[in-house]
Amino acid sequence: MSRYVIGRIGQAGLVLWAAFTVSFILLQALPGDAILIKFLNPELGLGPEQIADIRASYGADNPLLVQYVHTVANFLTGNFGYSTHAGVPVGDLILANLPPTLWLSTLGFLLSLILAVMLAALSALSPFSWLRSCIQSIPALFISTPVFWLGILLIQIFSFQLRLIPIINPGPWQALILPVVTLAVPISAPLAQILMRNIDHVLTEPFVAVARAKGASHRWVLWKHVAKNAVLPTLTIGGILFGELLAGAVVTEAVFGLNGLGGLTQRSVNDQDIAVLQAIVVFSAAAFVLINLTVDLLYPVFDPRLRVRQGAVA
Amino acid sequence: MMQGKNVFITHLFRKRAGLAALLGATLLAGANGWGAAQAAGPDDKQKPARGGALVYLEQQAHTNLYPPAGGFYPNGGILNQITDKLTYQNPNTLEIEPWIAESWAVNADATEYTFKIRKGVTFSDGTPLDAAAVAKNYDTFGRGNKELKLPISEVINNYDRSEIIDPQTVKFYFKKPSPGFLQGTSVIGSGLVSLKTLALPYEALGDATKIIGSGPFVVASETLGRELTLKVRPDYNWSPAKLEHQGRAYLDEIKYIVTPEDSVRIGALLAGQADVIRQIQAYDEKQVEDEGYLIYAPSTRGVNNSVVFRPDNPLVADVRVRRALLHATNTDEIVSTLFSANYPKASSIIAKTALGYVDLSAKLSYDIEKARALLDETGWKFGANGRRQKDGQTLELSAYESLPQPQNKETLQLVAQQWEKIGVKLNVLTADSGSAVMNNLDPAKAPVSPAMVGRADPDVIKSQYYPTNRNVLLQKGGNSDKVQAFVDEKLNALLDQLASEPDRTKRLTVAGEVQNYVVDQAYAIPIFEEPQAFAAAPYVKGVSFEAVGRPSFYSTWLAPRR
Repeated sequence: MSRYVIGRIGQAGLVLWAAFTVSFILLQALPGDAILIKFLNPELGLGPEQIADIRASYGADNPLLVQYVHTVANFLTGNFGYSTHAGVPVGDLILANLPPTLWLSTLGFLLSLILAVMLAALSALSPFSWLRSCIQSIPALFISTPVFWLGILLIQIFSFQLRLIPIINPGPWQALILPVVTLAVPISAPLAQILMRNIDHVLTEPFVAVARAKGASHRWVLWKHVAKNAVLPTLTIGGILFGELLAGAVVTEAVFGLNGLGGLTQRSVNDQDIAVLQAIVVFSAAAFVLINLTVDLLYPVFDPRLRVRQGAVA
Repeated sequence: MMQGKNVFITHLFRKRAGLAALLGATLLAGANGWGAAQAAGPDDKQKPARGGALVYLEQQAHTNLYPPAGGFYPNGGILNQITDKLTYQNPNTLEIEPWIAESWAVNADATEYTFKIRKGVTFSDGTPLDAAAVAKNYDTFGRGNKELKLPISEVINNYDRSEIIDPQTVKFYFKKPSPGFLQGTSVIGSGLVSLKTLALPYEALGDATKIIGSGPFVVASETLGRELTLKVRPDYNWSPAKLEHQGRAYLDEIKYIVTPEDSVRIGALLAGQADVIRQIQAYDEKQVEDEGYLIYAPSTRGVNNSVVFRPDNPLVADVRVRRALLHATNTDEIVSTLFSANYPKASSIIAKTALGYVDLSAKLSYDIEKARALLDETGWKFGANGRRQKDGQTLELSAYESLPQPQNKETLQLVAQQWEKIGVKLNVLTADSGSAVMNNLDPAKAPVSPAMVGRADPDVIKSQYYPTNRNVLLQKGGNSDKVQAFVDEKLNALLDQLASEPDRTKRLTVAGEVQNYVVDQAYAIPIFEEPQAFAAAPYVKGVSFEAVGRPSFYSTWLAPRR
């Protein structure tokens, strides 16, 4: 294994450790903790001695450093601990919440891309300027639509009034239709806006004038010359939005009663369920690090210059 | 229209032909309580149909299902179907009747209880529910298990040990008289579970499939935080002996689906996608009833939904200040503005349907003149800003909203408006549950707090006020280390007596004394008797509720939909 690869893997490990440690410190700094919140709650009606016993059995009052070493050791052996609030292993909670989040955000993102491209195409191809400005104001409408309201509206119309899609006990695909639409509408707005603006911008570039001068039709110019150039910045924004989607579908999840990482994170913050939060932070950091690591490791494969330099150093 | 009765069932089939029959059924249900709600509805003569799946929409996911944690409504709604209890508290009469225990004997000072266990009862893992299993359950609930981190049960006081007399007889010993124990064996928190379940650590008991009971239903599968499926136990044959219904439950399956959004739960019910929903706010009741659906609002029969004071805070240390605020609170206005007939106005610190209730309406009157006079007497004078001031201090109090209580924020805000009239400011605060729990333990930050708890035994008053239990008044020596000095020895002595007086009549007298004392000291301002509100489709028959309003689906069946 070359030094480059080892260096990259070492860096990735360092990032993970830093994410873990920083989140550990921040979570410990919160007032109160999950054990207090869980056991002081009137639902159990426990006395102070019993709570002290419970705290001792959880090791909650051990010195921070001891707890830290303990947690690191557990994470390294794949033991993420138990959720104090839900009373199940943290691993099970993540497994129950990650797949629905991936499905919802991936499909929601794809649909928002389709919506954005459709809006941009309609606006670029529309023969009348009043129609164009109408279409161009749609993204503003989309982004100002509250997700909460949209979700409930869609449920009211399609599930309760028209009775097309059941919201309780739907099939696996039926279950995704309305939430995906709910999620896609506001996300499509910034994408469509950037796409439209870029198309307008690229249309004023000299090379478009040249293409037109050569006798190309409006459609041809749009498709062959403008689209390619206008799509790149949209993808950059899309990447950022997708990252946000993964954790940001909290409202949609709540309205449709879906499992998801967003909702799990929100509830865990609320209950200060530190084991769960710690695992979520480490998982997200790991995903991020892995993607970057893969990209970094693939660079030399695609870029001969990096290979040469590596060879020269080694 | 039926105020004063313990049950409110409202039908909107008023224009239908069966009006007379229906009214009869409604009155019957009203007179007899929730056990009789099985007979409510126009089709009470129909023979129950077997089969079908009930879809039940729950507002929140369940948490830990260790039976003593069954007080949380979503937990109780599940545990009540999958576990049986030693005894059965008849929800109509509140009498304790045989269930898993065929019979029992209690010694004169309530320190020894002997139970004869019914033969042939098994847990769903096939192991027997015999004296040994019962002993192990109560040893765990009564003493906790430090190794497995299992906390002790709130309803079992002064527990010492168990003794297995023979395979079907078990005896429990108590360190001090424990007259509330018999009722304690009937509550959801005393649900009997298999030894396999009791061998698991506390942290693993949030997985419903690990909870092995002997009840009429068994957990078949679960998607954490989202869905839970119960299947009928075909060989179930040990329902409470005095119930008319014996043998297996009528339903084949119950599907619990977590649906947090109120409007989605109600919409799904009305659109025929769900059969029963839990938690419906008073302002939504009419919409549901107008569609011909039923509202069930069984009382939780415990300590009323109240506002309590923390006298450790000097602002509310003077009983005259607390009394002034009590008389400045217009509970009629709160109940009529925010709630419905299903939320009766409180007339003591416990519900009318609770054991040991005494009517204290005379002491709880709304009297703003008296309130003003009391405050004037204490030296709190109106300052420039319309607020009461003394020694440069303003009479400004804070309370944290309690999320599980119905419309609690709105209730507190209305109380704040009412107190404003006598120049007292109440800040209603919202916080994430973590900060709210911590701040609510500090009398300086939360001199006022909302409070309620349900249990059909006078022990519930002790649970609520005793320093080493829920300690709502925040006395010193309890769960809060922020308290400076406040202790009320007289109250605690009364509560001790309440929890240990073996003579039933004397015990109820003590219960009355405690209620009078708490109101005389104006420690609490009771507001309304809190129900658990459910809505169900008209074809769902035989929905019943145990003594504190948790649903039981054992006798529930589905009539053909119209």
